[in-house]
Amino acid sequence: MSITDLIYLSQKSLRSNILRSILTSLGIIIGVSSVITMISIGSGARIEVEQQIERFGSNNLIVRSQSSSNRGVSMGANSVNTLTLKDMEALIEELPAIKAIAPRVSLSTQIVANGNNWLATVTGTTNDYFDLGNWKFENGRSFEEEELNSGSRVAIIGKTVQKNLFDTDNPIDEVIRINKVPFTVIGLLDAKGGTAWADLDDTVIVPLKTAKQRLVAKKFPGDQIRSMTINVRSSDLLFKTEKDVDTVMRKLHKISANGNPDFVIRNYAQFLNARQESSRVMSILLATVAGISLIVGGIGIMNIMLVTVTERTKEIGVCMSVGAKKRDILLQFLIESLMISLIGGLIGIALGLGVIFGVSEYFKWKMSLDYMSIVLSFVFSSSIGIIFGFYPARKAANLNPIDALRYE
Amino acid sequence: MININSLSKEYIMGDNKLLALDNIDLSINEGDFVSIMGSSGSGKSTLMNIIGCLDVPSSGEYHFRNNNVSTLNSNKLAELRNKDIGFVFQNFNLLPRLNAQENVVLPLLYSGKNLKERNQLAIEALESVGLKDRVHHRPNQLSGGQQQRVSIARAIAGSPKLILADEPTGALDSKTGLEIMKILNDLNAKGITIVLVTHEDDIANYGSRIIKMKDGKILEDKKNVNN
Repeated sequence: MSITDLIYLSQKSLRSNILRSILTSLGIIIGVSSVITMISIGSGARIEVEQQIERFGSNNLIVRSQSSSNRGVSMGANSVNTLTLKDMEALIEELPAIKAIAPRVSLSTQIVANGNNWLATVTGTTNDYFDLGNWKFENGRSFEEEELNSGSRVAIIGKTVQKNLFDTDNPIDEVIRINKVPFTVIGLLDAKGGTAWADLDDTVIVPLKTAKQRLVAKKFPGDQIRSMTINVRSSDLLFKTEKDVDTVMRKLHKISANGNPDFVIRNYAQFLNARQESSRVMSILLATVAGISLIVGGIGIMNIMLVTVTERTKEIGVCMSVGAKKRDILLQFLIESLMISLIGGLIGIALGLGVIFGVSEYFKWKMSLDYMSIVLSFVFSSSIGIIFGFYPARKAANLNPIDALRYE
Repeated sequence: MININSLSKEYIMGDNKLLALDNIDLSINEGDFVSIMGSSGSGKSTLMNIIGCLDVPSSGEYHFRNNNVSTLNSNKLAELRNKDIGFVFQNFNLLPRLNAQENVVLPLLYSGKNLKERNQLAIEALESVGLKDRVHHRPNQLSGGQQQRVSIARAIAGSPKLILADEPTGALDSKTGLEIMKILNDLNAKGITIVLVTHEDDIANYGSRIIKMKDGKILEDKKNVNN
């Protein structure tokens, strides 16, 4: 008896009881959709973390000014700049674990060039900013030492700024006006793409000194800066250095250990860890659901197949009387349970894809669809069908033809 | 064709041994039409099951077309049933989900015939029992007589040498019963050996030989002079 004949007979009997077949596969449906969702969440989180490191660089701490809240009333994030270049020098001096620090001042302002107008964030910083932030140059160069020291009017722009001011033209050596001050473009950064909250390519970078003299003299008087990116020598030292930075900064700013600090330290690794941890917990949860429902689903299949064998005892006897061998009967019931579980697997895959789509749309979670997970689901559901279908099928095959024929 | 020597069959029920067949000798030649009669419990069904290779004897020998059936395993028995024997049951035993043609195809499916050939054979078999226009009907859309004719078609589709009919008219009215007997008679005329189990004298009379059984023994075995 060929496989196609077996499949034909099996689908005939499954279709005669379609509701029962679908209800039976419910456990498999839930199990398989959980497996797919679980794997997709896991690999989505991994990819997201990799992308974040790619975008923001690894082993970085960001220290930002923060107005110390006064009796619970915040004075507003931009109202004061409490960080200075002296803080930066002191940190480098005192903490050998720090490899480099990129200071930053910034403002949002109008850029004019080529008859076009664009509002962008302008950053004043040093060359370390490019290394630490994992910025790459598509065209042109970074600042020269002389430009940094003398406060030259040179600028490096991001892709979004290029697109809005110059379209696809080469912007190098063109002049842009930042806050009416003319700057020469010397570099174009590679695109990083947007995050959920900001377009990283919407940026103009100028030397720190130039920015302080020409653009933000009032906003950042003296040696005040907005923030600094601290690069730590190795990831093992990241969390210890975070504490050390806090200690040194408190000392510099004369703030007691319990006092409200006028700065805030962001550890990007912390965020990534939390993200990975939450997706790990989610995956464990789903794996548990998947495991339990696959086993319960398997038992459900076994249960229904046992009922089916009993219901069809007489039919089995008839088939045997016309020449069905044990093997034919065994295969027929095995294929029937395999089909139930595969149908469940298919519906489960569809459901899983729906969940993945829904979650990634609604929560803006990065979900990556792994084709391996679909293969895995098929393997899972078919082995469940075979394992749990074997006992009922063997029971059917081992029936005595006469007893089966006489069964009422 | 069939040679049975001192064959016994006993069933063990709890502590009791039930001797369903007691030292039976019987031989049936190719082309015979044998009616086996007897009351219930006489052992006629057990004998039928053994002849049909559905059951094996406890002792004694059964030779079917040069096969020593007592020594065959379940696969070999299935093969014999598939190729050489056709069954006709009292209550038809058709599969309810399959239509007439699919029911008739069933034994051909197990013998591994290809799709075209088995559909051809099934249609021919249904035609020969006069059901050409009912091939796509399911059993519950057919009358009792038509269902029994489908089961005869199923029995003959694989061109067997032997047809075993267990009370084939038992569930039918007498007019339809006679139609069925006429079909069996025609098959016998074409050379197929028929063994018929019944307890009705006029049905048994179709046979050329009538065997009467009682308590697991053959009481009487004679040529049917009326036939």
